[in-house]
Amino acid sequence: MIIDCHTHWGTVWEDRDREDPARWLAMLDNHGVNRAFLLGHYNLHRSDQCRADNDRLARLTAKTPDRFIPFGTVWPQMGEDAVKEARRCLQTLGLKGLKFHPWLQGFSTADPVMSEIYDLAGALGAPVFFHDGTPCYSLPEQVAGLARRFPRTRFVLGHAGLLWSWRSALEAVRHPNVWACLCGPHMRAVEVFCQRADPGRLLWGTDFGFGFTDSIAYRLNLIYRARIDDALREQILGVNPLRLFEK
Amino acid sequence: MTIDGYCTLGVDREYDLTESALLYGMDRAGVDRAVIAPVDRYLAVSNREGNDFILGTAVARPDRFIPACSANPWYGDAAVEEVRRAVGKGARLLILHPFVQGYLANDELVWPLLDAASAEEVPVYIHTGPPGNATPWQVVDLADRYPSIDFIMGHCGATDFWNDVVDAGKAGHNVYLESSLARPFSLVARLKEVGMHRGIMGSFAPINELTFEWDQMRRVLSPEDWQDVCGGNLLRLLLKRGAL
Repeated sequence: MIIDCHTHWGTVWEDRDREDPARWLAMLDNHGVNRAFLLGHYNLHRSDQCRADNDRLARLTAKTPDRFIPFGTVWPQMGEDAVKEARRCLQTLGLKGLKFHPWLQGFSTADPVMSEIYDLAGALGAPVFFHDGTPCYSLPEQVAGLARRFPRTRFVLGHAGLLWSWRSALEAVRHPNVWACLCGPHMRAVEVFCQRADPGRLLWGTDFGFGFTDSIAYRLNLIYRARIDDALREQILGVNPLRLFEK
Repeated sequence: MTIDGYCTLGVDREYDLTESALLYGMDRAGVDRAVIAPVDRYLAVSNREGNDFILGTAVARPDRFIPACSANPWYGDAAVEEVRRAVGKGARLLILHPFVQGYLANDELVWPLLDAASAEEVPVYIHTGPPGNATPWQVVDLADRYPSIDFIMGHCGATDFWNDVVDAGKAGHNVYLESSLARPFSLVARLKEVGMHRGIMGSFAPINELTFEWDQMRRVLSPEDWQDVCGGNLLRLLLKRGAL
């Protein structure tokens, strides 16, 4: 079982395929990837498309429920409406978590409205998935700060610090409610994570779907070529992703 | 000739690349020569120690290794002297790593080193990327100020400054785009816009695995582009100082 924990239903895919996931899924099939955390793209770029894209993710998942694990988003700039939309995502649409990209969406992880959302996610057992590795709103240590403040909530570092903040991400995952998705760090950093971090909180992903480019081949090869124990690799690829949602 | 544009030789923290391991990887990947540079510690401090290690290794295998040197500009005149000394002993590139060395890439602090690089006709490789000490446009600032120097934009600002790479590359005609960390599958589209004559393949071994990175690049480049990006372009810059 291979679960890609970081993919997007990209704007280019939506514009071309109009909610038909066949060609998108064919890319996963080419690489033997069984399931995917499905994040939006329109909803991260445009606040006016947020609700519609959340709905779209729910419809896409309904078409192939055995393939997609969907995450919605909200914009804290919308105030109380953002909290309502978060609740709608998780309780009405059946989305499994919330994804935030503070760099693209233009807000701070410390935005007061977000506090209600972190609490809500924690209460409902829904993980909060962050783009991370980017100053000044998306650093691993900022997410770690949230983990301290909201111990009931599970936070995912969607890029494990990317290329230059991976040491901060390694510090962040000392918190038991912080998980790291190995989608971005170079091979050596991936190996260090596997040596030092809690093996039960490591995920793998590709960021596939932002464009048409096949980023799966590179990142899947990377995880297989890295000097990682086989059992741990299997755990990262297929076991941990489902554990993330355990109550 | 195929040239790997950046490998870090030595053992320190996450670095563990020995001379024999590098040669083994190069042979497996079909790489003729590799630029070798010191580990981070020797970029930040003890520059002479790091440079001498690299130069000593390259002297033993001049047919395979191209030595690069570095000096932390915070050492002032001593840094300039160290660059001159290292180049005099065979170093063919100057490495700057503003994040590790502690300044902004376009800080006037680096000008004396660039004056030396210009006089010695060696290209300057600058590590770029978050958190923002070295961005693509900062490299362009330097390229404007030093039109005689060929600047190699290490990692192309990977990942978060990727939006800037094409425009910065087009603006800086003496700026070359190095592939490591920018991932082959992402870089090629940018090179198509800026020009394949400005691409430089680097693996950044051992941070990345050399053979893996070369395999990946082989998948995305056409045979004609391969010649330029995987050796020809860098060789052209290096030969300005003379034969290798």
